[in-house]
Amino acid sequence: MSGWHIVRSYIYQNRLVYFSGVTLVVVGSLFAVLIPRLLGRFADRLQHGSLNISETASCAGLIIVFGIIRVSTGWTGRILVHRKGRILAYQLRRELFRKWGTLSPGYYHRHSTGDLLSHALSDVEVVRDVASMGINMSTSGLSMLAAAFYMMAVHVDWRLTLAALGPLVVIPALVRWLGPKIRHQSQRSQEALGSMAQTVEEVIGGIRAVKAFGNERVVIGRFEQKVDVIVAEKMRFVRLSALFGSLVPLMANLGFIMVLGYGGFLAIKSVITLGDFVAFTLYVAMLRMPLEQLGSVLNVIQRASASLNRISELLRVVPAVGNREGPLLDRPIHGDLRVERLTFRYPGTERNVLSDVSFTVRPGRTVGIIGSMGSGKTTLADVLLRLYDPPEGTVFIDGADILRYPLARLRQGIAYVPQDGFLFSTTLLENIGFSDERPDREWAQQSARITAVYDNIERFPEGFETEIGERGVRLSGGQKQRVAIARMIYKDAYIQILDDSLSAVDTKTERMILKNMRENGRLKGCSRGGGKTTIIVSHRLSAVQHADEILVLEEGRVIERGNHAGLIMLGGSYARLWSMQSGLTEEEAASLQTGLAVRVDTMHTGLAEEMEAMGSGLTEGVA
Amino acid sequence: MSGQSQAALSGLLPYMKTYRWRIALVFCLVITVVIIDLAQPYLVKEAIDRHVAVANPDAKAIMWMAAVYLGLVLLSFGLTYCQDILMQSAGQSIVRAIRIDLFKHIQRLSLRFFDQNAAGRIITNVVNDTEALNNFFTQFLSNTLRGGFSLILITFFMLRLHVTIALYCFILVPVIVALSFIFQRILRNVNGEIRNRLATAIAFLAENLNGMAIVQIFHQEAKQQKKFDDRNKALLKATLHENRMHLLFFNITELLGDLGVAALVWFGGRGVIRGAISFGVLYAFIGYIRRFFQPINTITQQLNILQASIVATERIARTMQEQPEIAELPGASAPAIRGEVRFDHVSLAYRPGHTVLKDIQLTIRPGGRVGFVGASGAGKSSLMNLVARFYDATEGAVVIDGKDVREWPLEDLRRTVGIVQQDVTLFFGTILDNIRFFREEISAERVKEACRLVGAEPFILKLPQGYATVLSERGSTLSAGERQLLSFARVLVFDPKILILDEATASLDSETEEVLQEAIHRVSRGRTLLVIAHRLSTVQEMDDIIVLDHGKIVETGSHGELLQRQGYYWRLHQSGILLEEAV
Repeated sequence: MSGWHIVRSYIYQNRLVYFSGVTLVVVGSLFAVLIPRLLGRFADRLQHGSLNISETASCAGLIIVFGIIRVSTGWTGRILVHRKGRILAYQLRRELFRKWGTLSPGYYHRHSTGDLLSHALSDVEVVRDVASMGINMSTSGLSMLAAAFYMMAVHVDWRLTLAALGPLVVIPALVRWLGPKIRHQSQRSQEALGSMAQTVEEVIGGIRAVKAFGNERVVIGRFEQKVDVIVAEKMRFVRLSALFGSLVPLMANLGFIMVLGYGGFLAIKSVITLGDFVAFTLYVAMLRMPLEQLGSVLNVIQRASASLNRISELLRVVPAVGNREGPLLDRPIHGDLRVERLTFRYPGTERNVLSDVSFTVRPGRTVGIIGSMGSGKTTLADVLLRLYDPPEGTVFIDGADILRYPLARLRQGIAYVPQDGFLFSTTLLENIGFSDERPDREWAQQSARITAVYDNIERFPEGFETEIGERGVRLSGGQKQRVAIARMIYKDAYIQILDDSLSAVDTKTERMILKNMRENGRLKGCSRGGGKTTIIVSHRLSAVQHADEILVLEEGRVIERGNHAGLIMLGGSYARLWSMQSGLTEEEAASLQTGLAVRVDTMHTGLAEEMEAMGSGLTEGVA
Repeated sequence: MSGQSQAALSGLLPYMKTYRWRIALVFCLVITVVIIDLAQPYLVKEAIDRHVAVANPDAKAIMWMAAVYLGLVLLSFGLTYCQDILMQSAGQSIVRAIRIDLFKHIQRLSLRFFDQNAAGRIITNVVNDTEALNNFFTQFLSNTLRGGFSLILITFFMLRLHVTIALYCFILVPVIVALSFIFQRILRNVNGEIRNRLATAIAFLAENLNGMAIVQIFHQEAKQQKKFDDRNKALLKATLHENRMHLLFFNITELLGDLGVAALVWFGGRGVIRGAISFGVLYAFIGYIRRFFQPINTITQQLNILQASIVATERIARTMQEQPEIAELPGASAPAIRGEVRFDHVSLAYRPGHTVLKDIQLTIRPGGRVGFVGASGAGKSSLMNLVARFYDATEGAVVIDGKDVREWPLEDLRRTVGIVQQDVTLFFGTILDNIRFFREEISAERVKEACRLVGAEPFILKLPQGYATVLSERGSTLSAGERQLLSFARVLVFDPKILILDEATASLDSETEEVLQEAIHRVSRGRTLLVIAHRLSTVQEMDDIIVLDHGKIVETGSHGELLQRQGYYWRLHQSGILLEEAV
């Protein structure tokens, strides 16, 4: 299905405005075409010697009147149509954004942000052009051409008309032929420029390495190559545009020569009057621009076809995750979470990311999930949040399949901290209070205290009003994560999921945050009994050490489970990780396993902390 | 135009000099083309007055006239094409030369320049400022030339036709100029506003697309939609305003043209009736008066470009005036290389009065392995900057193998001292080329050998094209550990006697870390090793640990000795936050 229905239905909806706009533009063009005629008649009178002062005055007056009419009608008509075109662009962008709001991460994995942005930018712009400029130009161009043709051929002489217009009508064809080539080549030279910019960026960004390896000579060679490519591409562009820039005037001039030679001849032979001759020369000059525009309209239409198809395809995408059919459980959720033999693969892939995973978390309890990269621990969070739908009958909340809840309800009940601590470039207050229309300052401050970021925030000159991101301060990795956790706390949901959210926070602070969360994690005082269900996903053991149950994931399977002490005793994968991350040697770790497991808990706390920290390897100071 | 900006543009003169004859030729071509184009109304006037509106019309003469003009038009076609290409290719060559000179110059500058100027600014300088110059040659010069000549010639033709009417017509000129200026300014502001608002909307969109999962999880689709709508609406308003302004300007000009023609008819018509002027003259005036508008408009548009290129030239000139402060002494020669590093009462201040290293006294024997430890800002990296001679010591001297680094040839020094940084520098290109840093003279075999040795080969061979895999976006497709391995391989290929290692602090998973540790062992064999250490495991293995605080060495010794001493190192160790300070 072609995307033209978007434009068609829009024009139909606004048919009155479009109709009046087009009519006004046509009227404007007709009056424009009358002005050379007036001058022609003036010339005829003059030649016959029948010209007098009052006729001169009326001719000048008519020119003014016609001029005012043509300008004002054309102006109004164009404004009407242009306005509608711009509103269409606005509406399309709104529609796109609304659609994007419904699409799940699976979609965003398949489509790069850059591609999607180009829909909102260039595709929408092209559609706007076709619905405004395209209509205006084709209307004025065609009506002018038709009117001029009528004036010339019917009133004067059709042979001269054909001779004069012959070269001129080549102009749209030229635009149609060379326009896309020039455009394409201009893009290529832009790309060449971009490629050079990239090289410069790389070199300046890596200048230490360049200098350290004494590599300036090589880098300059690479740069020269890029510059030469730019010159070559630009010259190719110049050859095309110079050809265009000299062919179009040539055609216009040829038309003029026809009028001058043949028209002059006819005037001398009195086949046409002097006035006709004068009018012809003026028409030829007048038609050049509209004809060029007609050509570019053809190009815009061609580009718009592709853009419209892309946009309409996008607007028809069906969200992969949505409310299920049938009756839904529209009730608040309380956080009794059960996962039962969950096996999951991402849509369109072959490999099971999670295989046969089962666990239960009662309200108030904490489950830790440990695993290395690619073990499936983030996928687990994705599924619980229904960013991807789990198979039916595998994930239950409060005893009911999560697929049976409305998405809104489900997500109201779950708070989440993503791995990268994604924040928006607004104020800290708005970020922490993201779950509210108008963030509550008290709660935000309280949340920030719990995640030990309050002092950092207060130290910024504008405190909680500080803008972050491009326009404001840059937060360190650890600060970002702590703000993201504060955002989760602020939401105060019954289930909370932390996806490797403390990786850039030092262990001491990590411990403090986890403790605060356990003790003061309830903000709005709405949680009755039980407390919160917490799932902590991590690759660092210190984060899950105190969980009620720890699952060790490997390639999507739970290979070990139990609490910290139990898993150390077990002497398996977890214990090995523990020894590695705490910086113990193999022998020490071995001795720990053989009966000395208690030591882990009773060990002089300072030393234990220090070891964890050393093992974890990342601190804020460096982040 | 101020004297300063003239001075800036005159910096371009040497570059233009090579092309002065070509530019002169372009001048002549432009004049010819403009004359041929502007002859049209004059020709019609001639045709009317001499051949059509006379007692004995001469059909042959008018055919001749058309034939001659046909020849001229064809000539003009060829000349326009040639003139365009000549001008543009001269412009391209000039900009090419400036670009390369600028880039070469920047490459000669020392690290202080790069530390003091944001990368973005330097990139803009090389990319956008030179592009602005390109516009100066390809747009400003050719358009003002054409516009200027057109104006002059129209004036000339008009005066030739009839002085009084011509002078009346010139009344229009200041009006058009003023209008043109005012609207250019308005349109520039309006377009700037559109760009801003578009950028805001797109930035918002981009951020939300990236964080859509967060928006959905927090169920804030409606709120974000509303926020986007505000920005979208602001953009709509700006574009509507722009359109209104644009059409206003366009239509006022058109109307002004019509009024001009009407006035000509009114005054000229009376002249014709009185027999003071011929009809042909009146016709020619009507033809010319409309042609006033375009060149004036074009020229005022070019002023923006001129302004931009002046600013750009000034910026380029400023960069070209920067002098490299690290320079090689004439007749410098390298000593026999053993790998000994000695700091001889070294002090360093990046800015006067802000000392970052104070009186460092230290000798590292060939093959020694030394770890540097201290809070961030303690001076670890500054020490390394001195060894690689990125900076020169303010006082004292860094001596490598008995010779002050300032007396070494730079190339030999940098071949002797290798650096592995925390963030690995990878360029767009194949893995092979990245490891040998695009030096063709280093064989692929040597690169592969190095990769085998550091243990990078297994993951490289797993990539779709192996060593020929092209890295994009600075190797973002590789993991941090993999990138580190590549940089180790690079060091092996370049084989420096002294190796500075800024240990990676990114959180690597334990397996990768093991591989990396092993790689460090292999790479450091037979070299003097200076490590900026972040991890306990690395420091422990060093022969010596230097503890720095506020630019001074506060402790030295092995791991065991330092712990026993229970001093600064011990406290760092105890604080439980690794070897760096917390924020």
